[in-house]
Amino acid sequence: MFQIGFDDSGNIVAEGRLDAAQAPHAQEFLDAVAGDCVLDLGKLEYISSAGLGVLLRTHKRLMDANHGLRLVNVNHHINDIFMYSGFDKLFQIETGESSQ
Amino acid sequence: MQQEFGRSLNKLKNIVDFTDNFFAAHDIDPSVRYIVDLCVEELFVNMVTYDTETKTDILIEMQPHERGVEVSLTGFGVERFDPREVDPVDVDAPLEQRTPGGLGLYLVLKMVSSIHYEYRDRNSKITFIADRK
Repeated sequence: MFQIGFDDSGNIVAEGRLDAAQAPHAQEFLDAVAGDCVLDLGKLEYISSAGLGVLLRTHKRLMDANHGLRLVNVNHHINDIFMYSGFDKLFQIETGESSQ
Repeated sequence: MQQEFGRSLNKLKNIVDFTDNFFAAHDIDPSVRYIVDLCVEELFVNMVTYDTETKTDILIEMQPHERGVEVSLTGFGVERFDPREVDPVDVDAPLEQRTPGGLGLYLVLKMVSSIHYEYRDRNSKITFIADRK
């Protein structure tokens, strides 16, 4: 199960499993965001390369407009994937307490 | 434990259920679960996406292996595709040179402990071992 939406502070929150079947849903949502965005991944359990593609596509679009996507509360499994993928050099990433 | 899955991304949730059952039935270090989930998805999606000349199901097999799991995915009636031969991804490239896609098999090769490929009678079998690092 995967869900994406805004929290009360205006941050984007993604929950569950962002796999290849759910990537189009995530992309549709993120295609509608603008400006400097914070994506809270504290409740995201899993991401595959399809989800990485969604994040990269969104970040590039926002960066073209001098903004970007900041990834926060990243758990250690997902942070490992980000590191392997070189995303730590492309995104501002903040890990969650449980990943310390 | 083994099961066949139809060639649809909608089957990913069934594969997760299958993996849940496998891990519940065996005393396997839960730290390898993410590796198994990711590698199975990436290989399955690759087979679904590129082996379009067949509609036969994909067989997934899992068995305990020392400190981890041995997993095989077999496609029947397909062309040869050895995932070990994919072009490398430049993960150090700057943002403007990065494009979505291409990371899946790169991550598989990065995360597994070993990977083996076998192609016989138009059947393509990929076997990998995921264990505790």
